Amino acid sequence: MLGIILYSGAVALIVIGIAGLVRSTHLFRAVLALVIAESGANLLLMLAGFRLGGAVPIATEGSFPLAMVDPVPQAMVLTAIVIGVGIQALAIALLVRVKQRYGTLERSKVTAAMELELNK
Amino acid sequence: MSNYLVLLVILPLLGAFLMQPLSQLLGSKQAGRKILQNFGRAVIAVTLTITYIVATEGEGVLQLPLSLLMGGFVVPVGINLYLDQFSLLWLVAIQVSLLILWPASRDIRQHLLLLVVAASSMGMALSGDLFNIYVFYELLAVATFGLVAQAPHPAAAVVSFRYLLLSAFGSVLALAGIAIIYSQSGSLNLAHLSAFVVNGETQFPLAAFLLLLVGFGVKAELFGVNGWVPEVYGVVSSRMSALLAGVISKIAVVVIVRIMLLLFPYPEASQALLVLGILGMVGGEWVAWHTAQRGGKLSTTLAYSSIGQLGMIFVAFSFSLTLGLFVGVALALHHLIVKSGLFMLSSAQLNRWQLGLFVLFGLSLIGVPPLPGFWIKLAMLQDLWATGGGLEQLAIALFLLATVVEASYLSKIISTQMVSPQFKSAKLGGNSEERRNLNLAWLYGILLFGAIFFINPLAETLHGIAVQTEDGELLRSVVLENSIDPLAGGEQ
Amino acid sequence: MSEFLFELNMLDSLLLLSAVTVAIAILCRVEYISGGVVTLLYLAQLVVVGMMISAGGVFSSHLTPQLFGYELGWLLDGLGLYFTLITVGSALLATLYMAGEWGRRYREQGKSFRALQSLLALNVFTMQLLLASSDLLSLFISWELASWAAFALMALSGGKGLKAALHYMIYAFSGAMLVFAVVAWIATTAVTAAYQLDINGAGILQFSSVAELMQQGIFTIPEQLLMLTLLLIGFGIKMGLLPFHLWQAPAYALSIGPAGAFLGAISSRLGLFAIIVVLFKIFGSITDGSILQSSFGFEFASVTPKTLLAWIAVATIIFPTFVAMRQNDARHLLAWHGIGQGGYMLLGLVMMDSLGSAGGLLHVFNHATYQAALFLAVTSVIYRTGTADLNRLGGLVVRMPLSFMTLLIGIIGLAGLPPMNGFVSKWLVYRSLLDQGELLLFVGAVIGTLGTILSVYKLIHNMFLGSLRKEHEEVREVSWSMLTPMLILSALILLTGLFPGIPLQWVAQGLSAVGLPVAEFNLGGVMADGGSLDMVIVSMVLFSGFGVAALIFYFVGGKSKRVNPLDNYAGGHFLYASNRYHYSNNFYAGLMHLIKPWYKNTFQRLERVVVTLLELTAESLSRLYMRPHSNQLALIIVVLLLW
Repeated sequence: MLGIILYSGAVALIVIGIAGLVRSTHLFRAVLALVIAESGANLLLMLAGFRLGGAVPIATEGSFPLAMVDPVPQAMVLTAIVIGVGIQALAIALLVRVKQRYGTLERSKVTAAMELELNK
Repeated sequence: MSNYLVLLVILPLLGAFLMQPLSQLLGSKQAGRKILQNFGRAVIAVTLTITYIVATEGEGVLQLPLSLLMGGFVVPVGINLYLDQFSLLWLVAIQVSLLILWPASRDIRQHLLLLVVAASSMGMALSGDLFNIYVFYELLAVATFGLVAQAPHPAAAVVSFRYLLLSAFGSVLALAGIAIIYSQSGSLNLAHLSAFVVNGETQFPLAAFLLLLVGFGVKAELFGVNGWVPEVYGVVSSRMSALLAGVISKIAVVVIVRIMLLLFPYPEASQALLVLGILGMVGGEWVAWHTAQRGGKLSTTLAYSSIGQLGMIFVAFSFSLTLGLFVGVALALHHLIVKSGLFMLSSAQLNRWQLGLFVLFGLSLIGVPPLPGFWIKLAMLQDLWATGGGLEQLAIALFLLATVVEASYLSKIISTQMVSPQFKSAKLGGNSEERRNLNLAWLYGILLFGAIFFINPLAETLHGIAVQTEDGELLRSVVLENSIDPLAGGEQ
Repeated sequence: MSEFLFELNMLDSLLLLSAVTVAIAILCRVEYISGGVVTLLYLAQLVVVGMMISAGGVFSSHLTPQLFGYELGWLLDGLGLYFTLITVGSALLATLYMAGEWGRRYREQGKSFRALQSLLALNVFTMQLLLASSDLLSLFISWELASWAAFALMALSGGKGLKAALHYMIYAFSGAMLVFAVVAWIATTAVTAAYQLDINGAGILQFSSVAELMQQGIFTIPEQLLMLTLLLIGFGIKMGLLPFHLWQAPAYALSIGPAGAFLGAISSRLGLFAIIVVLFKIFGSITDGSILQSSFGFEFASVTPKTLLAWIAVATIIFPTFVAMRQNDARHLLAWHGIGQGGYMLLGLVMMDSLGSAGGLLHVFNHATYQAALFLAVTSVIYRTGTADLNRLGGLVVRMPLSFMTLLIGIIGLAGLPPMNGFVSKWLVYRSLLDQGELLLFVGAVIGTLGTILSVYKLIHNMFLGSLRKEHEEVREVSWSMLTPMLILSALILLTGLFPGIPLQWVAQGLSAVGLPVAEFNLGGVMADGGSLDMVIVSMVLFSGFGVAALIFYFVGGKSKRVNPLDNYAGGHFLYASNRYHYSNNFYAGLMHLIKPWYKNTFQRLERVVVTLLELTAESLSRLYMRPHSNQLALIIVVLLLW
């Protein structure tokens, strides 16, 4: 039961993020939506390794818990988060350039200006 | 010696990171600048030599594939690098293309990013771990974002941003797909996962395949996520377009094919690939025609054309018979050469000799004998007929129709070029970079023309590659049982 | 090396000679020599072909490359030899025409004579490869090469000619793709069959092997019908069969003079050659119960593919001929006729009896002779006057009598009247139609001839008869280099009309090569059960009629004297040179008024429909790419659905 709630939560985050990405009218909001979506994906990945009632996957002297949460997805998620942060930073940097060039971050206006420049 | 395989990934990365301090050190002097210009190419030349050494060691990879463990960690806990004929082919393709198409710009950031591209694409071709492939893919993506943003076009930043959004969308999906696979199997190693599938323990759901397909398909110009293609090709330089369309897209396709072969060997997956391939083929070629009719830019037409061609490649790969692999690889290689050549010719107005070269590329693209494109198309048609099925017959009809459409817009472009004044003269026009590009086009043209005389041996080689690639047993046995531990003295 | 040379049999020598011709045409920079040298080379080729024909039998080439797992081969039999003879002959005459003064002026205009010669030679070479192909793959490869060579030759004229050539290319390439699909289909199935039967798969695409496979029933009847249809469409496009004929007339008309003669003479007949190969060699249509005879019925009538083909042939005869009548440009008029005559050839062959098939095949030769003659004559007129517009010419008979004679002989041949060769082939076809009781088809063919006669009269009247225009007062006859091929052709038309037995021998060899029945031919014509034709007697009767008339005119009647056409008197006025008393504009006004409503431009509209469909889909797809992210939404939905 808990599993289903958690999974649907992760999926919902992804869906919300993607919906935001697709539908937002402001480019910065698109980036934020992307952040949400990535969080959702990371959460999904974490859940893949989650074991209910499992302990932290660290073996110390004396205690070797039998049921551990799977550490591999956690490692993956770390990597994914870092990648995500890097990409988001790049995105924002590009947005700064876009704002400098077109003066606006409204998606429709920027797209229109872009089309104009591409077809010249 | 085989340990040196890892240098293929490390050296370019190292080179990339070293470029910045090196430029501080050497940038002020004339000689120093010269060194910096050629640094990237030198690194790639080194890696190419290493590739040769590793591949010909012992019996040679052509006989037996090679699997190398990273850090000595045992599969499936650790990551392995897998070198067989298939990955060797793509490694060579990447490196040779980079050497040929390396830009001559003064901006070391381009060189730096291209080294990152080299490292990540070679990593993608070699890696045997699903998440590792994902990480390299992201690295490749970020490098391309940077390269696109640096393009000498006013709209470069916004185009790069849009490309980034689309690519990130794909990455999210891919990550979700990886999560599904991990949750069902507990492993990330391709060979290990493939063993699960073959033993009948798990069948990974189609949704996972679709997620991974869409995720990696962004770079591969898959239908649905290829909106970035015309925009990006419209802003980057010809050489970058050639690299993107020719090489980078193929690596993404290669990754998808490996995943499909090993993890999703059931008909629904291939059918999904077939459908998306057909849609991409039709969409790409039709819109290319539309663009040419309207007198749009050549780079836009070529962009849509490459979408169409990649659709055809997907259609070819969707048949996981050996013949399908053969056709797919042949088509991918052919497109690499022809598209690079075409992009090299797209920058300037062409005189009659160069236009003849354009015609050569165009004829091979649409499959006129005796050019190699014809033989590949023959094999593709035979492949489609052999598989039977209604969808495949529809694919044949659409494939042939798409070829006619290709012929139509290519001839439109050629006849437009024929009325330009540059056509009459035999002189070379354009600036120095354009002239260099045109010379490179000759290189590709000679390669293509020469291939006519070697059709039989080429076909045999590619066939051999296809057979080895399809052999999942071979991969599993090599990776799971015979991986080489670089730390220990010998085999595991 | 010398052993290698001895190994060359005649087919190899021919192909080698042809390749050398191409090489010399490309490499020879000294343009005023190249014309002569190349002509001599074509003559040599013609000699070789002649030797092969008189030797009889089959020649197979030593060139058998193994490509992609298939063994390709080349082989000339009676049928191929017949077409090759016509090809090389047309090329020889076209080059002869180009070699002298025409070529000089062409070079003076700054155009590339070398390109013209090279492309012509390339066309001949690729056509020879096509005619000598002995398996499906070599057939298809040479077909493509020949199509592209023809495209290049047409495109050389630039401007409108280029557009027409591009139009041709789309049609031809679509046809080629249809053929390609069938070839791949057969190849796939054949290879699997060979594997199962454990025979060597390399030669599986030879015509004979494929025919065997067909007979063994590897493909079901509906599959065979589908293949046949696709192949017929694919090859029929090149031949200009309805409804795929729209490209042909402008493409041939607008190509460069002698090249147009060559193309019009033989290029589209390659489609016919391929159809013959397909129908008779591969699908074995001669045998009883073969696919061509098999009927698939509707409730009210049963239609065989043979009937369908015959009706398409008749439609091809009628429609383009009447379109020709409306043309005001001499070359377009001739080109439209070229399409129509192709219908006769197919009609005769589809009848599959001794007379009809002989007539159809003979018509290829005949048509080549008078199409070339007519085109060259028109090119001569263009050379001297600068125009081919029928509304701007007239009265050239006094200035260019030999061109007039060529044209006259040509149009008598085209119309199919004795004593020219056209009469023979048409007679044979009519005879066969009547023998088989196909009255409706016969009437259709006759309507076509009627249209032909009407429109060729327009041609000769508007060009040569009537009064000479002021601007053409200084026009002279063309030089000997240009006259020679025209006169050769006229003589050929006349001779083969008088003694049709000569070409009929070659036709007989061609027919027996595919297994069609052969009638007994003698020098004057044919002796068959249905009826016989002896041209010698017919011509004697004809000439004696003229002879009697000449006698009466010159000797018996009153004195005659030569007068100037303006030495006349009409309606109370003398005639003045400044007025034109020549009715040429809107020539068949009355007839056109009657039949104009029948010209519905149907085929052009059909073509327009196809193109518009294409444009619509392209437009909507490009919208899809421009709209932001709509495709991503679609994909997500798909993914979720499949979870």
